[in-house]
Amino acid sequence: MTSSAEPVEDKLVALASIAAELHSVMGVVWNVSLAGKNAKVISAQAGDKGRGFRPITESIDEISQQAIRGVDEISSEALRLSKISVHEQRSIDAYQRFNSVVKKDADAKYIKTISPAVKKVEDKMRTSMSEFKKSMNHLTLLLETMDQCMLSARAVASVSRIVTSSGQEYRDKLTVVSNDLDKAASYIKQRLSNSYRHLNNVNALRQKGI
Amino acid sequence: MKATKIFDKGHQWIMFGRDPEKPENIIDTNQYMIVAGDRALLMDPGGIEVFAPMLGAILHHVKVDEITDIFASHQDPDIISSLGLWDQALPHAKLHSPWLWEGFLRHFGMNNIQYAAIPDEGSELTLGELDIRFIPAHYLHSSGNFHVYDPKAKILMSGDVGAALEACEAPLYVEDFDEHIPKMEMFHKRWMPSNRAKNDWVNRVRDLDIEYMAPQHGRIFKGENVKRFLDWFEALEVGVAIP
Ligand SMILES: [Fe+2]
Ligand SMILES: [Fe+2]
Repeated sequence: MTSSAEPVEDKLVALASIAAELHSVMGVVWNVSLAGKNAKVISAQAGDKGRGFRPITESIDEISQQAIRGVDEISSEALRLSKISVHEQRSIDAYQRFNSVVKKDADAKYIKTISPAVKKVEDKMRTSMSEFKKSMNHLTLLLETMDQCMLSARAVASVSRIVTSSGQEYRDKLTVVSNDLDKAASYIKQRLSNSYRHLNNVNALRQKGI
Repeated sequence: MKATKIFDKGHQWIMFGRDPEKPENIIDTNQYMIVAGDRALLMDPGGIEVFAPMLGAILHHVKVDEITDIFASHQDPDIISSLGLWDQALPHAKLHSPWLWEGFLRHFGMNNIQYAAIPDEGSELTLGELDIRFIPAHYLHSSGNFHVYDPKAKILMSGDVGAALEACEAPLYVEDFDEHIPKMEMFHKRWMPSNRAKNDWVNRVRDLDIEYMAPQHGRIFKGENVKRFLDWFEALEVGVAIP
């Protein structure tokens, strides 16, 4: 798997790379979820002694649920975007070929008879282009939300390290969970930033009309 | 894309090809169209790269919705990879092609055009006043393969049979048959897989009254050269490229 996106990469390759980045995130997100479950168990075991860090264990659990949902959503949107992109590419190609007939063979006796088909091909191209844009914006939003979620995860992890509580034994357990969470969140953040880069490349290529 | 009328008595046969703007690294192809009354049949319309020049050339002769039928002799990319584009240009047309290839040809993108599957034994198509026949040519070279025979014009559109590899400015008709052989020999030996299928086809085609044999690559055979071709092809050992 590639983590660096060359600015010259193909649009479809860039989109496939996003899907690949997210695939690798999937496994790690389960670690976040495990951290959430462990945090809840620790909190339950600690009983009254764990009252001080209960808000933190609850936050960890909440973040883990959010992360699983988020990655799921991002994956399916990335897949959708790849599919739309193929349609878009095909419709642009068709439009260019039809349009070249209209330009090159303007003197053909029956050239006007192709107009309805050209119009349909053009409409199809515009629809797929706007669908692509919509999906692209949606994916960007999902990536941003997920990034925020991971930022919160890291913040919670660092707070949990300094939380004071009477139960030293439970605090140590919580520190292990927090470290796991921090590691997973920073890995996911890295993958998200790679995905961003691929997405920016797609945007740049589109603006150049490639 | 050059368009040449090869027959014009009541109905027309137009040959498209010898495109000077064709990208150099793709094989040169001949496309054909029969125009009978207000209907036209487009035969082996070609690959994606020839779609635009073909459509442009066609519109000099017929209105787009007069092209009611398309024929694809087999599944090859040089024959029909343009299907996804024709599907958008001719949404109401029918595609006549071997039943064997339907599921495969749909990969080229076919959302509008109707697939009219030709059964193994062949079939007929009526275009206005004209009846044409789809003649079986299986394993020549494709496992599901047909040629088009027009008994009025006495023309057999023979797909890859009779094909020759040569420059795009080559003449339209075979002039000296013996000189033409080296341009066809390798193609037929390598591409045609079965002597049995070849001889079966030769026998079937010998029963037809043919004035022109029009292949998808190279030059058209006329009159005596059709008979010469059939004799030459019958004697040729094909499908022998195993090292
Ligand atoms: Fe072929
Ligand atoms: Fe061919």
